[in-house]
Amino acid sequence: MSDALTLAQQGWPAAFPAVTLAHYLFVSAAMFTVGLIGFLTRRNLIIMFLCTELMFQAAGIALVAFGRYHLDFSGQTFVIFILTVAAAEAAMALALVVLLFRKRETLSADEWTEMKG
Amino acid sequence: MPRNCTLVPSFFFFQRHVRATEQLRSGGGRRAALRGLKVGVRVSILTASGGPVGPSLRSRRPTPPVDLLTNPIVLYLVIALGAVGVCMALPRRGVSPQLVGGIIAAVAGGLIVLVLSLRAARQGGPDAAPNLFFYVFAAVALGAALRVITHPRPVYAALYFILTVLASAGLFLLLSAEFMAFALIIIYAGAIIITYLFVIMLATQAPEAGKEHLLAEYDTVSREPIAATTAGFVVLGVLTAMLLGGGAQLPPAPAADPSQTRLAQLPRKIEQSLRDAGCLKGGGALARSSLGDPVINWSDRTVQIEGPDGSRTWAPMPDGLELSNVEGLGFSLLEDHPGSIEIAGVILLMAMLGAVVLSRKQVEHDEELKRRRAHQLADAGGAVR
Repeated sequence: MSDALTLAQQGWPAAFPAVTLAHYLFVSAAMFTVGLIGFLTRRNLIIMFLCTELMFQAAGIALVAFGRYHLDFSGQTFVIFILTVAAAEAAMALALVVLLFRKRETLSADEWTEMKG
Repeated sequence: MPRNCTLVPSFFFFQRHVRATEQLRSGGGRRAALRGLKVGVRVSILTASGGPVGPSLRSRRPTPPVDLLTNPIVLYLVIALGAVGVCMALPRRGVSPQLVGGIIAAVAGGLIVLVLSLRAARQGGPDAAPNLFFYVFAAVALGAALRVITHPRPVYAALYFILTVLASAGLFLLLSAEFMAFALIIIYAGAIIITYLFVIMLATQAPEAGKEHLLAEYDTVSREPIAATTAGFVVLGVLTAMLLGGGAQLPPAPAADPSQTRLAQLPRKIEQSLRDAGCLKGGGALARSSLGDPVINWSDRTVQIEGPDGSRTWAPMPDGLELSNVEGLGFSLLEDHPGSIEIAGVILLMAMLGAVVLSRKQVEHDEELKRRRAHQLADAGGAVR
């Protein structure tokens, strides 16, 4: 078994070079971008909320990667709060979506353009 | 060598850090170790930077193709290629080249990761590239994320989001955040996405396979794909530029965990570890101070133990006695951020109340409607009679 294939580890991890950190940050940035594009282009209300969850996820990866780089637990702690906010957002957003769906019988965001003011 | 060099191999200068710290720990050659640490930090600041260091400071010239690939212009062109791919992959009316777009985007993403790995190999040696699993999880996460925004059927989009969450949990495992990895799977994949699926299935009636033209228009046609993709990839370009140039501004990573002193708050763990290591033979126990804390000398990592006759001796701390991920996270959550937990609880409570209130109004409205209908029917019935 090659050393590069070791997934599990014991004890406290060793230091983490900044160029390795860049890989994780790129994945996070790309995932955030995909979520942003999805939020801008999709017209289904539920998919739009799903894309915000995607952006939350990307932020979480960046936080954990930075926490790992600084050997600090605060990054992981913040991800717990992200999970909390995501759960609260999902509950509220889906209640709103159900409410809107009952009024217009469609999930299209374009149906509610009069809310632009 | 650090304990976990198998998972995250270190730079030569980080090895220097660790070696210096080990010298520091063992107590010998303290001044020399400090000097080594300083040199290590200076070297790491100089070599971790891509931009500010002139070519004369680089120890060896990179080979031309590597140099060409890590050129920022090439990188931005690759990002633009990814933008074209994502734009093609977005759903649209008529014949949409989704598969071609997806392949182009995948090639672009792979090229960028290749560039990053080449940079890592150039600056930190072959060991600085991440674990092989990183590439697998990153590819799955980004591919599934792309499918979330391109799949015309909402249920499938939600299922692909679960795949993204699972791959992110794998990345968390690689980043040694085990608790968060499993919390992510349980909370995101197990609770939040299932709620989404319930709402999608309640709200939409999906056409059978093969009758995709019956899908709702708002699911199959995307809004302003070119403008949105441009905006998104400008963001990605800026972030990537920051990644390439900003690494030098990061403070160097600490060589050892700074929070290990929290072990002093876990006397039973220390005692159990000492017992397992065979240091507490014949009824000995961990010595406690008057406040009940263990007596630890952090400079040489020794701990005081008390023999059965009351005599106190120093014993070295056993190897592998470290704060685990869950213990460290618990200390960070409850000691460093106690107020935030309260706020998180209030947010959850408000969300719960809000969801209940939003749904309740609709039920009242329905009941009102039903009562009016019932009255109408009763009136109509009376008129007939």
